[in-house]
Amino acid sequence: MTGIGAVRPAGPANEVWQRATDGFNRWVAGESSGLDDLVAVMTPVLWHVVRSYRLSESAAEDVVQTTWLALVRRRSAILDATAIGGWLTTTARREAWRVANATAAATPADEEELAPMLPRQRSAEDAVVQQDEGDRLWAAVDGLPERCRRLLRIVAFENRPDYRELAADLDMPVGSIGPTRGRCLAKLRVALMQTGEYR
Amino acid sequence: MSELSREDLLGVVRDVWERHDPVPEHLVASMQAAAAIAASDLDAELMELVERSTELVGARGAGAYTLRFVHGDTDLLLRIAVDGDRSRVDGWVVPPEPMTIRALPGEVPASHAAVVTESGRFELTGLPLGLLRLRLEPHDATRPAFATPTFEI
Repeated sequence: MTGIGAVRPAGPANEVWQRATDGFNRWVAGESSGLDDLVAVMTPVLWHVVRSYRLSESAAEDVVQTTWLALVRRRSAILDATAIGGWLTTTARREAWRVANATAAATPADEEELAPMLPRQRSAEDAVVQQDEGDRLWAAVDGLPERCRRLLRIVAFENRPDYRELAADLDMPVGSIGPTRGRCLAKLRVALMQTGEYR
Repeated sequence: MSELSREDLLGVVRDVWERHDPVPEHLVASMQAAAAIAASDLDAELMELVERSTELVGARGAGAYTLRFVHGDTDLLLRIAVDGDRSRVDGWVVPPEPMTIRALPGEVPASHAAVVTESGRFELTGLPLGLLRLRLEPHDATRPAFATPTFEI
């Protein structure tokens, strides 16, 4: 592949989850800075997971805050400190799903149903200006079908998300998450090749 | 020609979203404040050691003793058994109350935790030797957590 530094070494994953566990352990042991660190390392992860539920920025912020308050209230429910990251993302997804559904009545048609038929709308500006690499990468990701964009965003930021819950949230059969993820990654690979950023 | 791996692709996805839908600048600080305020009334109160007994069990490197702590109306009785370089704690909480017990080994916190049974019992196994504290977190969130002083196994 050429050029860019955009491809990072495997995962945000291990380091993020390790730091989360460390912060949780220090907090439970009585160090308040442990809680600060846990919040600092996991808030960005929660943000991206929650935003994949089509919530507005302010609704997403509320969901993230609800998640942190739930952690403080229900800390005693967490027996395995190494699972803290997963507990947080799961709690955030449940809340995001609940909030998204509560407001879904207002959403007219499932974008998903239209997506295959219509080219993704782009502003004239977007079309012209896509000169820099970042824009081209964005176009590749943004051009994916809705379901792929959401699924890949969640998978990219989470550490081994629970497929059963994910399936329910995305309204897909459990067994199809793995294959769908594979197809979405394949689509993204092709789209990236077409940008010329990778070959 | 190098094929983009799954991790490469997910890395691109992360980068793209971090750029196009960044975490609002104030969010981390305001979440830290919210969590800290919520946590501030959960600081553990200290239990008091009221009894300590030693029973020698004979075998080399093995032994057991009991400790009793109280806090308010709650009694905590611990039987600590050492076997080689590991130890186990069998505990009884009187009166029984749903709570989580966490072992906080002195310098390297690890995840040893257990939930008290209906009869008030719990056990923590495979604990390292050294300094240890137990933290008791009632599941009734209106009750503050409490913790034993540090003791040495």
